[in-house]
Amino acid sequence: MNNKLLVICASTLIVILTYWVTYGFWFITGNAPTFVGIIIVSATIFYYIDAAKSGKEIYLRPISGLKAIEEAVGRATEMGKSVLFVPGISDMDQVDTVAGINILGHVAEITAKYETELNVPTCRAIVMESARESCRESYLRAGRPDLYYDDMVHYISDDQFAYAAGVNGIMIREKPAACFYQGKFYAESLLLAETGNSIGAIQIAGTGSASQIPFFVTACDYTLIGEEFFAASAYLSNKPELIGSIKGQDIVKLMVMILMTGIFVLDIFRQMGLIDFNILILLGLN
Amino acid sequence: MFLKRQMPAIIAIGVGLFILFGHFINNPNIQGFVNNDATQWFDIIASFAIFLGALNMLKLQVVKVVKRSKGWQYSLLAIFGFAFAIFAGFFFRGANYITLTEINPHKVNILVEYISTIQEVDDPVLMASRIEGSLASYEIPKIFISKATAESFAVSLSSIANNVTLGVKPWGAHVQIKGSLFSWMFFKIFTPLSSTMFALLAFFVASASYRAFRIRNFEATLLLVSGIILMIGRVPVGELVPWWLVSTLIVFGIGALIAPFIPNKKLLFGIIIGGITLSSGIGVLLDWNLAVNIPGFLSLPNISEWIFDYPTAAGSRAIMIGIALGTIATSFRIILGIEKPF
Repeated sequence: MNNKLLVICASTLIVILTYWVTYGFWFITGNAPTFVGIIIVSATIFYYIDAAKSGKEIYLRPISGLKAIEEAVGRATEMGKSVLFVPGISDMDQVDTVAGINILGHVAEITAKYETELNVPTCRAIVMESARESCRESYLRAGRPDLYYDDMVHYISDDQFAYAAGVNGIMIREKPAACFYQGKFYAESLLLAETGNSIGAIQIAGTGSASQIPFFVTACDYTLIGEEFFAASAYLSNKPELIGSIKGQDIVKLMVMILMTGIFVLDIFRQMGLIDFNILILLGLN
Repeated sequence: MFLKRQMPAIIAIGVGLFILFGHFINNPNIQGFVNNDATQWFDIIASFAIFLGALNMLKLQVVKVVKRSKGWQYSLLAIFGFAFAIFAGFFFRGANYITLTEINPHKVNILVEYISTIQEVDDPVLMASRIEGSLASYEIPKIFISKATAESFAVSLSSIANNVTLGVKPWGAHVQIKGSLFSWMFFKIFTPLSSTMFALLAFFVASASYRAFRIRNFEATLLLVSGIILMIGRVPVGELVPWWLVSTLIVFGIGALIAPFIPNKKLLFGIIIGGITLSSGIGVLLDWNLAVNIPGFLSLPNISEWIFDYPTAAGSRAIMIGIALGTIATSFRIILGIEKPF
């Protein structure tokens, strides 16, 4: 066990102990599992970020949807058509939208390099401003600030179906060669994806809305499912600190699986009368 | 440079940490900020930001019309719609109403008849009794968009009451009152257009399902079979599907699964026919014709419920856990300033 891990474990333990000692006094009662969960998850992710920064080799499995991003922009470039990026219909208070804007930064960098037109219709004014910042940065990073103009990111409507109608109109009129749907989506997901399919665009979707994933899987060429979507920007950036956070996320997932199995086995034992304590009550889950 | 680069990061990190730990800190002021004030701040900022969006939309459409770009006619429509909404919301209330005072009690039924000429009256007796209850002052339950229409109707009511007065609903209330110009625009133009877009989903679901259900490989076949079972099992007719049909389908399914391992087609045919005969025979012997005797796995509603409760729930929970962890990791990266989308 290395020193850094010891320090992080000790700090985590101290925070949890402080919480436990001052529970009900400094801290409100009733959400202890959430607090402990957040601290453990944060500590794990922090450890792996630190490990990645110090040069530890981290393997990431290939995600076909992310590999296809450059291919999709390349296709649009070859066809002389634009790239359409839809950042969802929610505001910046949703992590999905933030993740979508992060991915937009990478897509914009590729379109800047390939000198391909990028069109980003937005549903919220704050998202429009954030997306503009992100695109401006990317064009600057790619060394092509001359290609950037504010109106590549534009506002359509706050209303769900008015926005869907506007984006569908853009698709039908401009026939982009590549469509990206990255953000928070609701019922409009299928309207967008099917229209994109009908114009023959290569489509890459990613969302944290579990109920919309089947629609995207059906109508799009590639779909980033669940954590793949949130890991996308880190994956594309190739920055060690971001990649480290993905590794940390995977380790937490492993911990969750072990915890679930452990709880399941202990509960079975309790029901069989082999142990006399209820693990669910002990963890405050029941 | 500091204001453009470091300042947003400092605000994001500071507010992020404060909101995160504010959920756990036992202080009513912090709790109040986290649960109410912070969300209200966001709403206020978002409300101001809408001006940016609206101006951007308007600018792009005007430029399109001026430059006569492809499809500029649609932009003209967008500009007209925008202007009309602004007009109905800020400049023209279109919410006139009529109040009658000192109504002649003998003319209540005539008044009900008059009202029925301008709007549908479901229960004239009930309306008459309501008017009788407020003879001193009664507001006609109809909003007039134009003042001229309200005036002409008011003239026809002059013989019924001593005093007929015209009024206009206050600013702000006019956008919520049914019958005003704004509500007419909302319910007669906006709502049907939104419903039309939503209704398109039905056709898109059909085309998407067709693509998804095409039998290309094992997974697609599984999806097709599960989909059909779910669709039939969730409708009333699913309960009418007899046990022998379900058992035969199960035998066919097992036959399809083992088919790649049995090169001899005659043998496979024999196994399937044998399976159907055996399952039917068992059913007859155990008297599955009686509803109470049918085993659960031979009822389509039960199978569909099982698919929904177990494999579907397991799959969606796995995705949900991944999403939750992804959300935490992304939030963590933003709060620590490792990733800056702004």
